[in-house]
Amino acid sequence: MTDLLHQARLSRGQFLRVMGGLAAATLATACSTRPETTATTGGAAATELKFIGVADQKTPMDELAAAYQKAKPTVRLTTSYAPTDQVQTSLRTQLGAGNAPDLHVVYPGNGSAMSMTQIAQAGLLADLSAQSWTQTIPTGFKPAFQLDGKTYLYSAGSSVIGAVYNKKVFERAGIDAPPTTWTEFLAVCDKLKKAGVVPIALGAQTPWVTQLITYALVPSTVYAKDPAFDDKQLAGQATFAGSGWRQAMEMYLELQKRGYFNDKPNGTTFEQQTSMVATGKAGMAVQVSAVLPDFRKAAASPDDLSMFPVPGADDANSVWIPAGVVVGLGAGAKGKNAEEAKAFIDFLGRQENINAWAKAIAAIPLTQDASSSIDPAVQSFLPFTKDRAVPFMDQRWPNAEVQPVHFAVVQELLGGDSTIDEALKKMDEAYRK
Amino acid sequence: MTSLTAFRSRPARAARRRGSAVTPPWLFAAPALVVYAIVVLYPAVSGVVYAFTDWSGIGADGSFVGLANFATLFGDEQAMGSIGNTLLLTLAIVVVQNGIGLLLALGVNVKLRSRALLRVIFFAPVVVSPVMVAFLWKYIYNPDPSAGLNGLLGLHVDWLGDPSVALWSIAGMVVWQNAGYSMVIFLAGLEGVPRELHEAAMIDGAGTWQRFRYVTWPLLAPALTINLMLSTIGGLKLFDQVFAATNGGPGYATETLSTVLYKQAFVFGKYGYSTAIALVLALFVAAVSLVQIYYTRRREVTA
Repeated sequence: MTDLLHQARLSRGQFLRVMGGLAAATLATACSTRPETTATTGGAAATELKFIGVADQKTPMDELAAAYQKAKPTVRLTTSYAPTDQVQTSLRTQLGAGNAPDLHVVYPGNGSAMSMTQIAQAGLLADLSAQSWTQTIPTGFKPAFQLDGKTYLYSAGSSVIGAVYNKKVFERAGIDAPPTTWTEFLAVCDKLKKAGVVPIALGAQTPWVTQLITYALVPSTVYAKDPAFDDKQLAGQATFAGSGWRQAMEMYLELQKRGYFNDKPNGTTFEQQTSMVATGKAGMAVQVSAVLPDFRKAAASPDDLSMFPVPGADDANSVWIPAGVVVGLGAGAKGKNAEEAKAFIDFLGRQENINAWAKAIAAIPLTQDASSSIDPAVQSFLPFTKDRAVPFMDQRWPNAEVQPVHFAVVQELLGGDSTIDEALKKMDEAYRK
Repeated sequence: MTSLTAFRSRPARAARRRGSAVTPPWLFAAPALVVYAIVVLYPAVSGVVYAFTDWSGIGADGSFVGLANFATLFGDEQAMGSIGNTLLLTLAIVVVQNGIGLLLALGVNVKLRSRALLRVIFFAPVVVSPVMVAFLWKYIYNPDPSAGLNGLLGLHVDWLGDPSVALWSIAGMVVWQNAGYSMVIFLAGLEGVPRELHEAAMIDGAGTWQRFRYVTWPLLAPALTINLMLSTIGGLKLFDQVFAATNGGPGYATETLSTVLYKQAFVFGKYGYSTAIALVLALFVAAVSLVQIYYTRRREVTA
């Protein structure tokens, strides 16, 4: 019995072997996520430009960086990518410390810590106004690109928020055409529910997903009635609580009350949401068109998926849609390679390159010519883009706090922990900060 | 690697540490202390200044605002709510992690053929990155009744999505990861219990429980001190797992002081205010740990 109490130490060989194995595995993972370097053609590179971007930019940026390499062999582009949250942290710290990369991701408009307005105000972005492509930015998009009349952001176009739906599931439920009014939308959801599938997959555990349904509805409930709402709100003449935002929130919760969401949306992630629609467990998901490639990757056949605008009004003519400028990039104002960095942006501004970037992320090109191609899934949004579209709401918000508050109050509402009054009050408070 | 060293500590060495026979020269610690001072102490102390400014993180250093940031903190509903969450989370982690750690240590301290393997298995989660653990557990915590933990237990719980459950779900995965660490420290403590004492107790007719209560438990006090302190500090400054699993949500249900200070700095661009929160957190952790060490040390005895 006493022997039981005093025993040998842990088999150290075994312990170390396991530790070694784990260390090797960690190392292998670390290596595979190392920043990628574009191929170089030898020692000819005279200038090295560094770019830090978000993961969504990898496909188009790698393609265009390689093209630039061919066009201008003396400049070498080193690119690295990280998820949005990490970029917010690390890049802002680098900007603060004064060692920013030559080129980096910039979010359009205002409203986030890495947005054009916030960084340009600190004097850290190079003025691109002299480049010819900036002359053709559509008027409605100018607030996203410009501060005080000067252009600081490059972006290849816009994406829309709408319902990504599984065509096969819709067919099986006997739905022949996408809905064009709110009543029709509810009827479609009802048919899907009766057919035994989840009508709308909602991954509200992933914070940014929470905002998409409100964003899809607010253009119809707020901006269709009052296109100058943003300006009035900035001037203190309008509030969330006293506007169509209330109606949009009511519609959001109505969908939940009728049981049109998957069970427990607050515990469901974006990835689970994607897979539900792609595999036909759910009929649709309200999402931004930029993530269409993710849905297509998860589906058995990419052609099963398409999109339609979420009709936020009962009159088809007063349905408006959210169309926001996609995440873009800017050049550091102070780097020693600032001129080379601007030259690269000028290259990105050529029509064929705008087309290539937009195509890679299923976006609508900023400016279009005969060779522009528009993803068939977003065709149904084109009739709206001219005069019934508004930028994503946060791009005009005056600070970076409103958006996270919106995420949190939606989660609270879905969890039954709050009321619409409280939610809108919190958003108004954050807006005024 | 401290765990490995602790693992091998012998009664003799433990006794000597508390006696004053040999005091190792400070010179040995100097290289490590210099690196620590340059990499940790200096930046931390030099950052304190920002707690009294409204610096935005980019551009100029901001202007001096005195104690305004601290005044904001005590009126900030969200930051105050996060203190409650932090304390609850810490309490749950300290109690459950050390309880399970102790049971595991006692369990693998008996003569079993698979003992060494079990020790490795229980310790293995400790060496995995906390963020990876959180991502894995997000799959385990899938709310779908046929998937993950729900499928296994036949439950239908919204682990991370229900505001009243989410905090405990996070505590659960932290305990899963760190119980092995507590186990290792308790095992080292168990090795320090002299066999003779148990033999003497057995001769006196003490049963298993009595030998644990009157021989093992008092002698485990130093291990308990270390475990309580490490888990308290770990709990109070918990960030990675919360950030990766819920990012403070749903709503604000799992917001801790660390996630609040992260958001103030990196999401809202209020570096000055964030530094003030960080300063308060650091002082708070220091105060709690010192009080705790003072009380737990008093009940330590030597064999």
